[in-house]
Amino acid sequence: MTPMLQVDAIDVFYGDIQVLYGLSLEVREGEIVTLLGSNGAGKTTTLRAVSGLRPPRAGDIRFRGQSLRDVPAAARCDLGIALVPEGRELWPMLTVRENLELGAYGKRARPSAPRNLERVFALFPRLAERQRQLAGSLSGGEQQMCAIGRALMSEPTLLMLDEPSLGLSPLLVDQVMRTVAELHASGMTILLVEQNLQKALEVAQRGTVIETGRVRLTGSAVELSGNPEIRAAYLGL
Amino acid sequence: MERFVDLAVSAILLAGLYATMAYGLGLIYGVLRVVNLAHGGVIMAGAYLGWVLHGSLGIDPYLSIPLVVLLSFGLGMAMYRVLVRHLPRGAAGGPASLLLLFGVWLVLRNVAYLLFTGNDQAIRTSYSTRSLLVLGTHVSVNRLAVLVIALVTPALLQLLLRHSHVGRAIRAVAQNADSCTLVGVDVERIYTLTFGIGTALAGLAGLLSATIFSFNPGFGSGELLKSFVVVVLGGLGSVLGTGVAALVLAVVEVFAILVLPSYLTSAVGFVMLVLVLVFRPGGLFGHRVLG
Repeated sequence: MTPMLQVDAIDVFYGDIQVLYGLSLEVREGEIVTLLGSNGAGKTTTLRAVSGLRPPRAGDIRFRGQSLRDVPAAARCDLGIALVPEGRELWPMLTVRENLELGAYGKRARPSAPRNLERVFALFPRLAERQRQLAGSLSGGEQQMCAIGRALMSEPTLLMLDEPSLGLSPLLVDQVMRTVAELHASGMTILLVEQNLQKALEVAQRGTVIETGRVRLTGSAVELSGNPEIRAAYLGL
Repeated sequence: MERFVDLAVSAILLAGLYATMAYGLGLIYGVLRVVNLAHGGVIMAGAYLGWVLHGSLGIDPYLSIPLVVLLSFGLGMAMYRVLVRHLPRGAAGGPASLLLLFGVWLVLRNVAYLLFTGNDQAIRTSYSTRSLLVLGTHVSVNRLAVLVIALVTPALLQLLLRHSHVGRAIRAVAQNADSCTLVGVDVERIYTLTFGIGTALAGLAGLLSATIFSFNPGFGSGELLKSFVVVVLGGLGSVLGTGVAALVLAVVEVFAILVLPSYLTSAVGFVMLVLVLVFRPGGLFGHRVLG
């Protein structure tokens, strides 16, 4: 069976600066895959390439076997790809509800927006309480919920999360990770970028470690957490 | 007392016109971060469009509103697709877009000189001189009609921005364009639409002005400057703030007649602009990005 997402030897640039060098990656249907690496390794860039915000100059990205080369970024959410960007990137002067409703802007998800809104509110009751508040007035944890909720409104089959635990208290980190596990249990495929390596390897089945834009290691979560190099470099053990 | 009511009524009527001019400028800057210097040119074009439709086709200026709005909307979308789209945006793109749009204004103005000469024109209708008694003062029917339209326009604009999918997307693009792309909003399409809507508002303002004032191809420069004052006073992107700021400017300008020689009254707005920029750079009501 072809994997759900195939990133095939992509080169990505910011202006003249190359960030990814022939990077390849696979996510199979129903998996949680985590993308690991230190700051500036190219994790965020990889997710931006898949979502279309930063298209690769060479190589190809395929979703369910279809090349995304000619699929504009704005059309990718209709295919079922969603990204929860690093730093939430909400619309601060829109209400929580407006943020969520805009998540269902795409043609495919718009008819089922009311149903999905209820689902998001069931998943994050706090958002239901705050739906009339401006998103910019939420706490960091609530903003993260809102960002995840917005992505869920597009009914994704592949959900990409970029450092969802960034800046959150340990208690909230656990809650976000539980949510990720729940979403996975409900059938969603997940690509998770996380600086909290330990947490990421707890929920993920497989992981890919990248270093300065190249794949360093790929393996199961168990293999990676047992790898002495990884333990030394990232877990401080 | 009678003079006071007279001036107050004039101020309110003038405010409606100022607000209509300013919405378009504020909307385009708020969403695209481009200062549309062609705004004055479009105001002038709207005036001539109404004049031509009235003069050669006999269409009443108020009945020609839909047509003028539609044509300016098309003009705005074309300006975006052909020119503005290719410019760098934001702080880096400032000089480039200012120069280009100033050039568009010059072209519009010179086309008008070629087609209509430099003579002053006005739209005269059968009811141009008719007036109604309001609060004991005579108010021209024209000015009242302009005021009604100037009140309905922001209401419609607010309805569009608040309660339609596209309107929400326009506000969201102003705040974070990448996030819009992620949820499936075609950001370029929103930019095109916004430029069209902003330009349509300028065209409408021009048409409304033409029913009250005389105009020539140089018309629009004072209007552009007043739009700037209103946008800065009102803070960006707040429809209500723009309306209130327009009222403040109009009241101050009109009542300045009581204390200042008439050749100084038009400077009042710019003094206000400088004061606001110095003391409240976010506008009278604080900074809100199309919230």
